[in-house]
Amino acid sequence: MTERGPEQTADESALYVFAVCNAPDPAVFVRLPGVAVETQLRPLRFGGLTAIVQTVRAADFTDEAWQTRMSDRDELERYARAHHDVVSAAAASCPTVPLPLATLYHGEERARRALLDETERFRAALERTAGHCEWGVKVYAPESPPPDQGHLPSREEAPAARSRPAPGAGLAYLERKRGVQAQRERRHEDALRVAETVDAAFQCIAASGRRLRLHAPEPAGQGRVQVLNATYLVAEHQAAELDALTRTLRDATGARIEVSGPWVPYSFVGEV
Amino acid sequence: MTNQRLDIDSDQLGQDLVALVLTVVELLRQLMERQAIRRIDQGDLTDGQVDEIGTTLMLLDQRMAELCEQHGVRPEDLNLDLGPLGTLLPRD
Repeated sequence: MTERGPEQTADESALYVFAVCNAPDPAVFVRLPGVAVETQLRPLRFGGLTAIVQTVRAADFTDEAWQTRMSDRDELERYARAHHDVVSAAAASCPTVPLPLATLYHGEERARRALLDETERFRAALERTAGHCEWGVKVYAPESPPPDQGHLPSREEAPAARSRPAPGAGLAYLERKRGVQAQRERRHEDALRVAETVDAAFQCIAASGRRLRLHAPEPAGQGRVQVLNATYLVAEHQAAELDALTRTLRDATGARIEVSGPWVPYSFVGEV
Repeated sequence: MTNQRLDIDSDQLGQDLVALVLTVVELLRQLMERQAIRRIDQGDLTDGQVDEIGTTLMLLDQRMAELCEQHGVRPEDLNLDLGPLGTLLPRD
């Protein structure tokens, strides 16, 4: 959706689009700064819908400008928050389809044309997400007892390290290793089963669900292992059931289940 | 993403190289161990052979632990995070 070209000059302007709404109340955006200081947020009508837009200096939003911004955590956070504030304000007042951070067009006419081309998609998304919120669910494998690493203590138990161990020691060693390996496989299977159970339970009350890529294990060895990273589109009147469901699943599986939300349904506006 | 420059400190470089070499050796050792367990499960080895293999792997394991200790490398340093692929060695 973003179009940027090399032909921009310093004083050229561009149009930043935050979200597409159905009949928004302009009053909710009056106090929000958006992503530029010198201009105000305003509605842009197209095909019966309304986009929330802001005129910005094209020079502030070139590829290079974004590259610089990406490497500056604070600056990036400032933009992400400004974007999110507008999207949240919109979503709180009317059905809203959030657009990705840094959705830009060269001027109003091109924005209107591009948005018009996608009207059907926006309508479908608005219809699907109206009265719904997004909830994130992350599941971590139950804490396992500290495993037997299988490494033999090199000093205490094997003082005569260079001499050949007694017969049968090798057999016992491999048996122990086999035990460790089997235990690891069992834990892995258990974790997968927990993930499926939790996902199936949430799918039952959700209008839609998506499984996202698992986060890598936390560094430093002892991190928790994530087994499910999913997000669900849940009707507002069913949100109250989430708490009870989470508690039940926690008790049933022993896994750590983290639920976050309600969020603006970012993850459920892309599909048609 | 980061503004950090590469700091070429030869001691640190040597230490990292040791850790990397030990990582590769440990990976091979664990692969051999798994292969040995698979062979045993298939049942085509005599008890004597199994004991022989087990003893060799055990001595390698001990030697590995000694080397790590000598070079101040912790067992968890011998693992690489491969991002979406997980880690090089199984994490228990």
